[in-house]
Amino acid sequence: MPHSGKPVPHDSARGHATGTAPYIADLPALAGELWVDYVPSPLPNGLLRRVDTDEALRVSGVVAILTAADIPGRNRFGSIICDEPFLPSDRVSYTGQPVAIIAAESREAARRARALVRLDIAAEPPVLTIEEACAAGLFIGPRRRIARGDAAAAIASAPHRLEGEFRSGGQEQFYLESQAAIAIPGEQGQMVVHSSTQNPTEIQAVVAEALGLGMHEVVCICRRMGGGFGGKETQAAIPAVMAALVARHTGRPARVVWSKDDDMKTTGKRHEFRTRYRVGFDDDGRVLGLSIEFHSNGGAFADLSTAIMERAMLHADNAYYLPHVEITGQVCRTHLPPNTAFRGFGGPQGVAAIETILEDIAATLGRDALAVRRVNLYGVSERNTTPYGQTVEGNLLPRIFDELERTSDYATRRRAVQQFNATSRTHLRGLAMTAVKFGISFTTKFLNQGNALVSVLMDGTVQVSTGATEMGQGVNTKIRQLVADEFGLPLEAVVVLPTSTERNINTSPTAASAGADLNGTAAVRACAEIRGRMAECAARHFEAAGGPSADPAQVRFADGAVFDVRNPDQRLDFSELAGICRRERVDLGARGFYATPLAGFDRESGQGAPFLYYTTGAAVAEVLVDRFTGDLTVERVDLLMDIGRMINPGVDRGQVIGGFIQGMGWVTTEQLVYGARGELLSHSPTTYKIPSIGDVPRIFRVAVLDNDLNKRNIFSSKAVGEPPLLLAVCVFEAVKNALTYAAAGRPVPLFIPATNEAILMALDEAAKSRNAPKESGVAVESPVGVP
Amino acid sequence: MRDHLLLYVNGQRHEVRGADAFLTLADFVRERLRLTGTKIVCAEGDCGACTVLVGRPRGRRLHYLPVDSCICFVYQMDGCHIVTVEGLTPGRRENDPLHPVQEAMVRHHGSQCGFCTPGIVMAMAGAFETDDGRHRPEPLDADALRRALSGNLCRCTGYVQIIEAGESIDPASVPPLAQLYPEQAMLADLAGAAAQPAAISAVRGGQTMELFAPRTLEEAVVFKASHPDAAVVCGATDLGVQHNKGLRVPSVVLDLSHVEGLSDVVAADGVLRMGAAATWTAIGDITEDLVPEFHRIITLFGSPQIRNAGTIGGNIVNGSPIADSLPFLFVTHAEVEIAGGAGRRRVALTRLYRGYKQLDLAPDELVAEVRVPLPRRGEILRLYKVSKRRDMDISTFTAAVLARLGDGGVIEWMRVAMGGVAPVVLRLARTEQWLEGRPFTEETMREAGHLAAQEISPITDVRGEARYRRRLAENILVKFYHDAQPAPAGAVR
Ligand SMILES: Cc1cc2nc3c(=O)[nH]c(=O)nc-3n(C[C@H](O)[C@H](O)[C@H](O)COP(=O)(O)OP(=O)(O)OC[C@H]3O[C@@H](n4cnc5c(N)ncnc54)[C@H](O)[C@@H]3O)c2cc1C
Ligand code: FES
Ligand code: FES
Repeated sequence: MPHSGKPVPHDSARGHATGTAPYIADLPALAGELWVDYVPSPLPNGLLRRVDTDEALRVSGVVAILTAADIPGRNRFGSIICDEPFLPSDRVSYTGQPVAIIAAESREAARRARALVRLDIAAEPPVLTIEEACAAGLFIGPRRRIARGDAAAAIASAPHRLEGEFRSGGQEQFYLESQAAIAIPGEQGQMVVHSSTQNPTEIQAVVAEALGLGMHEVVCICRRMGGGFGGKETQAAIPAVMAALVARHTGRPARVVWSKDDDMKTTGKRHEFRTRYRVGFDDDGRVLGLSIEFHSNGGAFADLSTAIMERAMLHADNAYYLPHVEITGQVCRTHLPPNTAFRGFGGPQGVAAIETILEDIAATLGRDALAVRRVNLYGVSERNTTPYGQTVEGNLLPRIFDELERTSDYATRRRAVQQFNATSRTHLRGLAMTAVKFGISFTTKFLNQGNALVSVLMDGTVQVSTGATEMGQGVNTKIRQLVADEFGLPLEAVVVLPTSTERNINTSPTAASAGADLNGTAAVRACAEIRGRMAECAARHFEAAGGPSADPAQVRFADGAVFDVRNPDQRLDFSELAGICRRERVDLGARGFYATPLAGFDRESGQGAPFLYYTTGAAVAEVLVDRFTGDLTVERVDLLMDIGRMINPGVDRGQVIGGFIQGMGWVTTEQLVYGARGELLSHSPTTYKIPSIGDVPRIFRVAVLDNDLNKRNIFSSKAVGEPPLLLAVCVFEAVKNALTYAAAGRPVPLFIPATNEAILMALDEAAKSRNAPKESGVAVESPVGVP
Repeated sequence: MRDHLLLYVNGQRHEVRGADAFLTLADFVRERLRLTGTKIVCAEGDCGACTVLVGRPRGRRLHYLPVDSCICFVYQMDGCHIVTVEGLTPGRRENDPLHPVQEAMVRHHGSQCGFCTPGIVMAMAGAFETDDGRHRPEPLDADALRRALSGNLCRCTGYVQIIEAGESIDPASVPPLAQLYPEQAMLADLAGAAAQPAAISAVRGGQTMELFAPRTLEEAVVFKASHPDAAVVCGATDLGVQHNKGLRVPSVVLDLSHVEGLSDVVAADGVLRMGAAATWTAIGDITEDLVPEFHRIITLFGSPQIRNAGTIGGNIVNGSPIADSLPFLFVTHAEVEIAGGAGRRRVALTRLYRGYKQLDLAPDELVAEVRVPLPRRGEILRLYKVSKRRDMDISTFTAAVLARLGDGGVIEWMRVAMGGVAPVVLRLARTEQWLEGRPFTEETMREAGHLAAQEISPITDVRGEARYRRRLAENILVKFYHDAQPAPAGAVR
C-alpha cells in the first residue's frame, strides 16, 4: 500500500510529544564546552572607536572576548549583495548589532561580562524610516520596474480614479527555538557546526569565509529547527560564526543559544512596506490602469531584501488581471536590523496592497467587494497573462470563487452583516473574501535545484538525505513517504537523516515553499536509479530460478517484496534482494539531482516566466468589532485552496491552518514598536503578541480542491508552505469592510496591523468622514490625502 | 530548621542543598537533572513551553497544576512532586506506548516543529487531573481546551489540530498521576519535612544567597524585621521575570508560599477575605458564583499557569498601574491588612499607592490579607480589560464601574476606577461627583466620558498611545451604559 497521499504522522512526532527530540540547546554538553554570548550595540549608527574588554575579561570564568579584529578570514557576507560584516570593525549600523563575542565557562559568567564590556561609539543620527531613507537617498539595490501597457494614460482616461498610500508593518518570525549553534573544532583547523538553520550550505560557506578556510574544511549539520519561517534562511549565519570563532580561538567546543529577547532585538523581520498607488477603474470596479510604487524598509544590510521586493512586485497583481500597469520597487537602507525572509517573502505585502485597493474601489462604488474582485479575476483562457508576461495556466480561481461563495453562504451572510450593522449600537461586523495566487519557484533561477543521497543498506533498509531542512513543515516526512513508495517498503524501513553538508552539497535554502518539490523529486530520482539496478539484478535472479526471461521493466517493488508482474508468485523479500545485490556487486547508493525546468525571469526587463506553477486559493472572513474599544474578534473563516494532490494531507492541512493563523497575526495583533534609537521595544512575547489559541476563529472551515491536475510537480502535488499565509489578508479586508459601515459606505484608511488601537482610531476617522458631505462626481479623493 | 529542600521529580526523591535551591525550576530540571524535554523560549511566563505539573499536598492528595517552570524557583517547590514531560510515562522505553495525550498529539498532527509540544502536552495532561485523583468524567471540549491552553503559544500549527487531538482523547484512558506514582508514600515523606521551615544559604558567582521559608506569619514578620531588604516571594510570577531579565536578583529571599493560612480564601457576611498568598486560581474558583464579573476578569488574567502561581498579594504589592485586580478592589472599597514589626494595621487600598510602584508599606511590613466588601444586590458591576490580544496579555487599559441606580433611572452613585491612565490606578472623583443624581442615559455617560478623559494623564508606551487610552476612558463609560441594559435576545456581549 502506498504511503504517499496518507496523513501519516510527522516523522519526529513521537520525539516532539515525549520531549526526546533534541534541539541544539538540548544536546549534552561536550567536554570543555564554552558558552557564547555577545555584546549588542546600544546605538543604531556611529563610529566604533574602541571596545574596552579589560574589566569584562577579569570576570571569573570568562575565557575570551573577540571582536572584528579576531576574524581570521573575510569579515563580510551576504548572499545577494555582499555588504554585511559578521562583527563591525569601524561603525555600528543598528541597535542590537553584535559587536563583541564573549566566551565563558558558564552562562552566568558570560552574562556578567556582557554588562562590563564598554563600547566607545561616536553616535551619529540614525535613519529609521522609509521616509527618512528616501529623503536621504539611502537605498539598497536598484529601483526595479515591471510594466505593461500605458498605466498613466489608462488611469487618466478611466471613469473613476483613486489614489492613496497603504502600509503594512513588519513581523517577527517568532520561531520558538531562538538562533542556536554549536561549533566543534576538528583536526587541522577543520570545523563542524551544528546549526539551527534553513541553509546548511550557507552556514558552511560563511563559517569558511570567516575562518579563512575552504568550504571543504567545514561541515554543517542541521537535525531540526524549532521553527524557522524564513528567519533562519540567512540569519543563522552570525550565531554560527560566533560559535565557530570561539571554537577556533580556544580550541574548545562552543555553544550559542540566544535568548528570545536578544534574538528579537538583533535579527531582521518581515519588511515593512509602503505602497503608493493610483488606480483607474470602470463602473463595475474593473481595474483599467494601476500604478504602484513599493518601498520597503530593508534595514542596515542587503540580506535578501532585493529578492523580497522582487517577489512583492511579482505578486502585486495577485489573482487579478491588470491590463495597464506599472509596478516599481525600491528597498530603503536604514539603521534597523537587516530585514529578511519571512514566510511569503514579500508576497503578502504585494497581495495586501492590491486586495486593499480592490476593497477601497468597492467601497467607493458602493458595490460588494466580492463582485469587484470577481470582475478582475484572472480568466481561464483570456485575461490570463501576468504583468511580467507569464501565462496563468490551469487557472482554478474562478471555480474556487464560485465554490467558496456558495459553501461559505456569502450572500446570506452579507445581508445579515448589513442588518446587524444597521441595528447594533455597540458592535460592527465585516465580511470579506480575498484570494491568493502564489508563484512557486525561487525567482532567482539557479536556486531551483535540489540533490538527494539515497542508500539501500544490505539488510534492505534505506537511508536518505537531502538538502531540505526540517523546521516542522514535514518535508522529511513527505520524503520518507515518497522513498518508501519507490521501493514498496514500510515507512519504518526508511530513515531520513539529518541534513548535512557531508552528504548533500551546494544546496539551496529550504525556502520558497519548494523544499518538498525540489528535494522530493531529487530523492525519487535517486531511488529510480537504484531501483533500476536492483530490478536488473532481480530479473536475472528470477530467470535463473526458473521464472520468465529477464526483463527489468517487468519487475515491481511492492509490500516489501520484489516480483515480475508476469509471475507475481515468485517473490523476493526486498531485504533478500538487497543482500543479493551486494553479493553481486550492484551499487545500492545513488545521488539524485533535480533542476526545475524554468524559463526564468529577467529582472532588467521585468519580464519572463519565473514560476513553475501557481498555488491558488481564497478565503472569507467575518469579523466583529467593538465600537467602544476597537476590540476585534475573527468569528468565522472559510478557506478553499488548490494544493493539488497532497503527499500528506495531515501535514498539508497543518501548513494551511498554521500559515493562515500566522498571517492573521501579521494583519491584527503583531506590532513591532521601536524607540528613538531604533531599538525594538516589543522584544518578547509579553509585548509582541502572536495569535494564541483563543484567537483561532470559532468557526474555521478548511477545504481543498482535491485534484491531480498539476503534472509539473512530483505526485501532482503543489507547494503549500507560504500561500495560505497570504489568505489571512481577508481578515484585514473584513475589518476594513466593517469600518465602511461606520463611514456611511466610504473607504476608511487602515494599515496593517489592524490592532484594536488602530481600529478604534480608524473608527474616529470613519465618524468624521460620515459627517463630511459626500462628494459628487467620479473622482474620489485619496483616503490619506497623498497628492 | 532545615538546611535543604525536599522534593520529588518524576517520582525521584531529591534533597536540594546550596545554590541549586536558587535556580529556576526550568534550569534545574534541564541542567541538573538533564530532563531536556522541558523547553525554554521566553523565560518570562508568556509561552508555556516550559510547562510542568506541580503536585502540592492538599489533604490526603497531591493536587497537580500546570505552572511555567521558567519563572518559579526550586525553593518554591519544597514539599512538592514535579512531573515533567518525561514523567508522564514512567519507565517507558523506546517502543512502549505513549501517554494518551502524547499519542493523540502524534495521531492528529498536533506538532510541527515540536518546540512547543512538551509544554502543550503537559498543559493538556494537567487538564485531565481532578481534585479526587480519579479519571476526569467527561472529555475536554474545544472550549475547555482553549482555556487550558491559553498560556501555551504555538507558532506553527495554528492550534486547530492541537484542539482536535485534545477532543479525541477518551478521559478514561488517561491515567491520573495518582495512579502512576506512589502518592501516599511521597505524601508521607514530604509531610515530615513540611513541618519545619527551610533556611538555606549558598554562594553563587561570588554572591551570598540566603533563603528563609517560614511556616507562620509570625516567623515571616520576625525575619523581615531583621532582614528589611529581603525580597518577599509568593508566586514569583513578577519576581521570576525580573530575575531572568537581570532586573532584580535578590540575595536574601523570604518565601511566603509555605505560610500556613496565608492562602485561604473565605467569604462570609458579605465580605470576601483573601490571604495574601491566595492564588488567582483559588480566587477564581470561589468568585465564580459570588462575583461573576470579577471571576470573568480573572479568567483573562495571564494563563492557567500564571494563575496557578500568581497571588493577589503579589499583584497588589507589585503595584503596577495595569494590575488587573486593582480597579475592582478600588471600586469595592477593599482594604489590605498589613503585618509588621509594630503589629497589624489596615489600609484602604485606594490609599496604599503613592506614586508609580510606590506603596505605603514599610520595609519590615508584609501584606497579610485583602478584604473586599462584596457588591450588593441592586448594584451594577462591570470590569474592563483592554489588551492587544484577548488572552494572556497585560492590559493596556483597565476599568471598573460600580453603580447604584435609584428610582426613575437616576444615578444614586457611581464609582469609577481606571488603570493604565496614570502612574497609579485612579478613582475618578470628579467624574463620580458629576454623575451623582443624573439620569442614567447614554448622553449622560457620553458627557461623563469627556470628563473622565480630562481627569487622567495617560502616557504613550509599547502597549498603546496616550490618545488611545484617553479615547478608551471616554468610551468605556458609554460602553458601560450599553452593558447595563438588559440584553436583547441574541445580542453580542
Ligand atoms: C506571563 C504573565 C502574565 C501576567 N498576566 C497578568 C495579568 O493578566 N494581569 C495582572 O494583573 N498581572 C499579570 N501578571 C503579573 C503577575 O502575575 C501578578 O502581578 C501576580 O499577581 C503576582 O503575584 P506573585 O505571587 O506571583 O508575585 P511575586 O512575584 O511573588 O511578588 C511580586 C511582588 O510583590 C512582593 N510581594 C509578594 N507578596 C507579598 C506580600 N505578601 N507582602 C509584601 N510583598 C509581597 C514581592 O516582593 C514582589 O515585589 C502576569 C505575569 C506574567 C509573568
Ligand atoms: S519559557 Fe516561556 S513561559 Fe517559560
Ligand atoms: S509546533 Fe512549532 S511552535 Fe508549536
